[in-house]
Parts: sequence; C-alpha cells; structure tokens
Amino acid sequence: MSETRSLLLEIHCEEIPARFLAPLSEEFAQGFCAFARESLQAEPEVERFYSPRKLAWRVAGLPMAQADQTETQVGPPRRLCLDDQGAPTQTGLKFAEKWGVAFDQVSFAQPAGKKEPAAVLTLTRRGRPTAELLAEALPRLVASLHVPKAMRWGSSEFQFVRPIRNVLCLFGNQVVPFQLDGVAAGASTWGHRLHHLDRPAPVAVTRPADYEADLEAAGIVVSCAERRRRLEAQLHDFAGKAGGRVVQDAHLLDTLAEIVEFPRIVVGQFPESFLNLPKEVLVTSLAEHQKAFCVEDADGALLPVFLTAANRPDDPDGFIKSGNEWVLRARLYDARFFFEEDRKQPLLERKEKLKHLTFQRELGSYFDKGERIAALAAALAPGLGLDPGAARGAAEACKCDLVTLMVGEFPELQGIMGGEYLRRERVPEAVWRAVKEHYQPVSAEAPIPASALGGLLALADKLDTVAGCFAIGQIPSGSKDPLALRRAGQGIVRILFERGWNLDPMAIAAQALAGVGAKATQPAAETRTALEAFFRDRVAYQLEQAGYPGAVRRSALAAGWTDLVDLKARCQALGRFAEDPRFQSLAQSAKRIGNILKDETPGKELVAGLLQVPEEQALVGHLARLEADADQAALLRDLAELAEPLEAFFNAVLVKCEDPALRGARLALLGRLQSAFLRVADFSQWQ
Amino acid sequence: MHIQELILRLQRFWADRGCLIGQPYDLEKGAGTMNPLTFFGALGPRPWNVAYVEPSRRPADGRYGENPFRLYKHLQMQVILKPSPAKVQDLYIESLEAMGVDLRKHDLRFEEDNWEAPTLGAWGVGWQVMLDGMEITQFTYFQQVAGMDCRPVSAEITYGIERICMFLTGIDNIFDLVWGEVRTDDGLFPVSYGTVRQREEYELSAYSFEHADLDLHWKMFEAFEREAWKLVKEQGHYLSGYEQALKMSHTFNVLDARGAVSTTERPGIIKRVRDLACACARVHVEREQAMLAAGRGEEVQA
Repeated sequence: MSETRSLLLEIHCEEIPARFLAPLSEEFAQGFCAFARESLQAEPEVERFYSPRKLAWRVAGLPMAQADQTETQVGPPRRLCLDDQGAPTQTGLKFAEKWGVAFDQVSFAQPAGKKEPAAVLTLTRRGRPTAELLAEALPRLVASLHVPKAMRWGSSEFQFVRPIRNVLCLFGNQVVPFQLDGVAAGASTWGHRLHHLDRPAPVAVTRPADYEADLEAAGIVVSCAERRRRLEAQLHDFAGKAGGRVVQDAHLLDTLAEIVEFPRIVVGQFPESFLNLPKEVLVTSLAEHQKAFCVEDADGALLPVFLTAANRPDDPDGFIKSGNEWVLRARLYDARFFFEEDRKQPLLERKEKLKHLTFQRELGSYFDKGERIAALAAALAPGLGLDPGAARGAAEACKCDLVTLMVGEFPELQGIMGGEYLRRERVPEAVWRAVKEHYQPVSAEAPIPASALGGLLALADKLDTVAGCFAIGQIPSGSKDPLALRRAGQGIVRILFERGWNLDPMAIAAQALAGVGAKATQPAAETRTALEAFFRDRVAYQLEQAGYPGAVRRSALAAGWTDLVDLKARCQALGRFAEDPRFQSLAQSAKRIGNILKDETPGKELVAGLLQVPEEQALVGHLARLEADADQAALLRDLAELAEPLEAFFNAVLVKCEDPALRGARLALLGRLQSAFLRVADFSQWQ
Repeated sequence: MHIQELILRLQRFWADRGCLIGQPYDLEKGAGTMNPLTFFGALGPRPWNVAYVEPSRRPADGRYGENPFRLYKHLQMQVILKPSPAKVQDLYIESLEAMGVDLRKHDLRFEEDNWEAPTLGAWGVGWQVMLDGMEITQFTYFQQVAGMDCRPVSAEITYGIERICMFLTGIDNIFDLVWGEVRTDDGLFPVSYGTVRQREEYELSAYSFEHADLDLHWKMFEAFEREAWKLVKEQGHYLSGYEQALKMSHTFNVLDARGAVSTTERPGIIKRVRDLACACARVHVEREQAMLAAGRGEEVQA
C-alpha cells in the first residue's frame, strides 16, 4: 500500500441554525465520497463533526496522488509520417508535437480495424497530486451544498447558511490552498468565545488527528454525539440529585447538543405555586421557551426544578442559574395569565369565534367543521354502543380551544387544553377525555385515544378532514401531502383496527362525504374511487406495520378489505400458515383455477353421477367440508389439507374436456372451490 | 443601571464606532425597522450606519400596566450597519461589555431566529441573542426590504432596552426600574419607569382593547390608504406617502388587538400596507439611481 494522508476541513461560521447542521454535514460527506471514488478511486470513511459555529470533516487514508494512467494515441498512417528516406515528415513531426514528445518516441503498428500501419504513441499520464485536486474540489463541494435558507452578507454575492469567517484545511500537515468567498484556507481556527476573551490569537492545528483535542483545549467539544452523551449523563445525574427523573424528550436533547459548543447542564428552580398549572403546560412551556427539561417524581408529578444547557463549563457567579430562573418565571407568569384568562369564559362559549377561524377555504370554518363532526359522531355512536348525546357534546366543544390564548401560544397543546378546561368546568369525564384525546394518534408510534368516546371523536374528526379534502380535490400524491391526510387516514385505520370496531371505512367515509355535501367541488364518483384507493393503501400499510408477511397481506387484502375485523382475523389465521409448504402448492393451484375460470361462468350445481374419477370425488368430499366450516381457523386447516388432493386432481383430470356436460360439472366444482378460498384469501396473490 | 444610562452608553458606543445617532420617528409604529432611517436606509448602495432608540407599539401586548413583563409600548435600540462588517458579532459583544456585561461570568448564545415583516415586504436571517437564557437582542442580516434584494446586506441589531435593564439590575418588574435621577436644590430624586409610563400603559391598553372606535379605525385605514396612493402616484412623494402607510399599519394593529380582523381577511389587509410601502421604496430607489446616473454619485457612493 502506498503512502496515505488524512484530510481535515473545517468551515468556521457565525452561528449556524441547529436544524441545518446534521443535513449539511451529511450532504458534504456524501459529495466528498463521490469525489473520492471518481477522482482518487478511494472509498474513504468520512468522520463528521459539528458545533454551532463549525462544520468539519476528517477523512483518513487518502492517496498522495491519483494513480498514473497509460493511454495509447493513434496518429496518421505511416506513409504520411515518414518520407521515402524514412525521415519524419511535417505531419509526423506535428503528431509528436501535439502530444509533447520527441518524434523518436513514436512507433508504428497496425491498429485493430485499420488497413495500414499508423503512428502509435503510448503515453503515461501522471496522476495529479491529491492536494491539487482537493484545492479544486473542496470549494466546489461547499458551494454546491443545498442550503435551504441561504443568505448573503456584506457586499458579497456568495451564499451560504451563515457568514464564513475562517477556513481550516490540512492534507497531512500541509494547508490545502483554496478560498471560500475570499477567506483563504489556513492551519488555524477559533476556539470558544470565552477562551478568546483573554487570548486574541487563533488556535493552531498541526495534524488532522489532533483536531478534537486541540479544540477541547480551546473550550469546544466538536463532536455533537459526544456533547449529547455528556449532556444526557449530566441530566440523569442532576435529576437524581433533585429527587426525581427527567421527563424524556429526545428531540430537546438533540437540540441542546446542537446549540452549545461546550455541554453543561444547569439546574434551576421555579416557584412551587406554578405546579397547579396542567403538567402539559409546564412541560411544553419549559421546552418551547427555555429549552428546559422538567423533572418528575416516581408518580409522574412534576418537581419545581428544571434542567437546561449552558454553553460553557461553569457558572462562576451563579448568574446563569439565576438568569434562567428569572426568564422562566416570566414565561410561567405568562402561561398562568393565559390559563386564568382562558378560564374566565366557559370553553363552549367560544364556539361563535370559530366562525372566523378558517379550516379550509372551500370547506369553511372550524365552526362548520365542528358541526359536521358532531353530526357524524352522533350518527356513528349507537352502532358502537356509545351515547350519541355525549358524542355530540364532545364534538361541539372539541375545536373551541383553538381560540384560547394558551393554544394560540402553544399550538401543540390543542385538544389537551380543551380537555383540561372542560375537566375544570366539571363536564362528564367521558366528554373531557374525548376532547383531550381527539388529535391522537399524533404519530405512527403514538397511542390511539384510550377512551371509546375519544376514539369515536378522533375518528369523526379525521374522517371529516380526509373526506372533505378529497371532495375538494386535495388528494395526496407522491411525496406531496401538505395537509397530512395520510397520517389522518392511518389514524382512522388504526383506531378501527385497535379498537376492533366493525365499521366499513368506505361506508363511514361516505357518511362523512354526505356531511360535506354541496361544498364538494369534485364529482362524487371520482372522490369515492380516490378514497377507496387511499383507504386500501392505509389498510395495507397497517397490515405491514402489524408484521404480517407479504403473502398473507396480499392474499388476504385481495379477498376483501372493508370488513376490518374480518380482515384482521383472516390475517391472523393465515399468518400461522405463512411458512407452510402446502400453501405454496395451494397457491399454484389457485392460480390455475383462476386461469381456467377466467372466461367461464360456471354453474353452481354439482350434477350427481358425472364426477366419477377418484381424484374428483375426493375433491367433492373436501368441498363439502370447506363449505361447512364455520370459522377461518377450521377453513384454513381444511384448505391446507386440500393442497395435495388438488394437485392430484390436476394431474389426473383434464378440466376442459370434450364432453360439455362433464366439462360443466368440473368447472362448477372449481368455481365452488374458488368461492370457498375467497372467504379467507385470494391465494393467487400468495406468491 | 438606569434606563437612560443604558441608552446613553449604547449611543456613545455606536457613535464611537462610526454610526450616525438618529432620532425616533414621530409616528406610531410597531418596530424600529419601520423608521425611514432603516426602511429606506437599508436599500441601495449607500454606506449607512445609524443607531437610534425607537418607542415601539404593540397594541395586542398591552396589559394595562399590570403585567410586570409586558408592555404596550417598549423601547428598542436599533442599529443598522451597511454593509454588514466582517466583525459584526465581535462589535456586538463589545457593546455588551460597554453595558457592563462581563462575559467571563455569563452564558452567551446566538440561536436561529429569522425575521420577517410582511407589512414591509422585508425579511432577513439571523438570531435571537440569549444571555443566561434570556433573549436580549434580535440580530438580523437583511436579505430583502420592500420586496427588493438588499445589496449590500445590512446587519440590524435591535436591543430590548427594558428587558436588558431588568436583567442587569435583577429587578423583576418593569415598572420598578429606575428611569434616571432628578437633581433639584433639595436633593437627588430617583424616578421609576412606572412614574414615567405606567398610567400611559393603562390608558393605551384600555384604548386599544375597549375604547377604540372600530368603525372609525376601518374608515381611517381606508382614508390613509387613499391619501397615500394620491401622494405616491400623483406627486411621486414617497416620504409623506410612507407616513400614511405607517398610520395604516398602526391602525391595523389596533383593529387586530380587538380581534376585529378575521384570519381570512388578515393577509389581504397586510398586503394593502405592503403594496404601499413597496411603492414608496421603489420611488426612493429610482431617485437614488437617478442621482447616481446624474453624476452626483459622491452623495450616494462615498
């Protein structure tokens, strides 16, 4: 192996928004790998580092230069290159000159496909030094980064995520010479601002391998993963000392690791009097406004303690603790103001104000939506054994918190605040719980509403959204789903599945569509077709999430999907046979039956006496058992046992025989077998 | 630290670093950005450093002078640096030291906070500057003003005077801050922020939340708009036209605080103000370009 070197590149900027750090870091790494593959025939590992002011990458094992390449150049025919005396002609000399060599290096040979010998030159192209290639490629790779909110600064036209103030770039111990917007790459960088208060000189970096250590000595932990690890350990530690545990929030921890250059957790207190605010309000307010974690005791009750990060290793005069406490008090004071103001008026009295809050331009206001949800929920309630009055009541109140001060401040508390306010107004528990839960599930992993009425309300709300948007032509396609209809649709299917509610999604969607009524802009038939494809996809996805094998999902879905309770039972039953080789054979036979029956309309009656072959008679016996099977488990057991006789039947019997009567009887037998199969699955989709 | 001492130190600091010291503009406005010194100053090639205090009205934030943290009208110290200097963050940090903040003892962070003023057709990217967890400054690189690209780019630094003063003194009620001290023959009398401003907060809150005549405000909004277009279109007068746009903007804010503007109407109303502000800005830019072309470049390009 020839000699290799490491590359280190650091772009030092003014503070880069946390959300862009990881994507930019990743994109550059990928771009660099593509460059290394193409220009250096190398497959290097790229180490990524970033902190608020830095994007950095280190790549080990790069060759010193490109490999040399030999290539053959074919010139004019020999007779044109040499005169009668064998001396070079003008043409011959020009050819040598063109490739920068003396004429005596030119040889003559007959190249493949040519009729006569020609001048041939074997050239060795020296691989270019890697440093030179890097100097060209690195600025190009940086400039081609996709920066979502690019900016300009000063008088320059250069665009980047934030102003670039320093570039460090070493290949081995040599600086790679290039510029980014007039900033020349060098062998030094800047440490933490605190570090430089008393040291105006930049930090020298002499070897790529020393990068993290050099920066840590200057007050920066440049690996984001390392900062996250240290923060997490401190959070755990401090929460324990405060007598509780951290209310987990992985996203917040990611953010904190991204917004500090040195990780340090600060512990603060807030007045206990704020603990009478709903827990969700405190957790949200602390996280949103102060990027702070709450601490809870073993019962889940909050302690008057918060944990947040500071961008330095210490708090010499306690200013950081007291500053954060001071701000948090102001924030909580605001939250309490919102909470108390909101409670001065019963929630339901805000219904009129919803008329001014647009849901969707064509579908009207949230007031209109509330009315539609109420009608739909009340209509669906009796079938689920729920009280239509309670359903209507919950539906009418469920959107009212959208015009409260608290939800105006913290949109993510929608539903939760409505429920909390209703609870304090002493409405029945089923109603306030339903309102509180009706946005659930909020993600694919999050739970569905825990209460039945909450499930119904969530169902009605999402159905109205999906059916309404489809009716006005807002149908998700490809990666475009701005109204998150797929998530809503998945919520509908999950609620039906997980609660075991026997409702046909298409039937209830039709009810929701009827509620939208004249607001629809699309032809009803088109909307129904689109909804059918949409819900079938959602159901298919749900089966996949539930872990059923592909064969089970495809064949069960193809035999009907709108009765979800039945579908789930069929999938469970089929799942037990997923690995059974007899089903492979059955699938083959089912496909064969499908092909045979494709252009036929078989009779239903099995005319006695016509089917005399033993293999036929065996099938007739099996058919009787299949048709008598009351449940899917029994049916599947008998189907498994059918595989062998069915195979034997096809080996012994030609279905489409000459005799029309016999042929009719055999087709009828296959037709009834197919119907029996389809009660559980379309086995032609098994493979 | 007194309110007036803080203002004086910041003005001195920025004057010493080559800024003109401007004055608040004598019309109601929501932010210092709306002062013509910034709105027009940020456009065009002319080098432009200016700093001034701007009383900024946010009718919806009014709390009758009862909330210790919120105000109908607060003071912004606004700094514009065009083109944005390479060491603008360092300059800003020096200004904190001038206010008496010793960074050896505090936690300073620049967290992403992008700025947008739809009524001005303006946006920029930047940060909220957090000191020990409190936002003390908005820091923005203007990218567009009045729908036009800023070339060169200005840096805008906006200090929240009351907040910083509370933070520096540890006083957690705005109205208990000390504005300054009055010296008479009988001695030295400290005067609180509340003495100077609390009654005003009460009355202005009551006005925008209860007493403002909504019909009148809608009529004024339309009247200012007619007047403005007349000035801009017929006279080519963009400064007096812009004043009407500022009045429209404040009138809209009063209506908005009362909940008189529905969410559906809102974008349309904002657009009416923006169209006007943009028209004024275009007249200004054309005028500057004409001056450059007429060889009076020394007035424009230093």
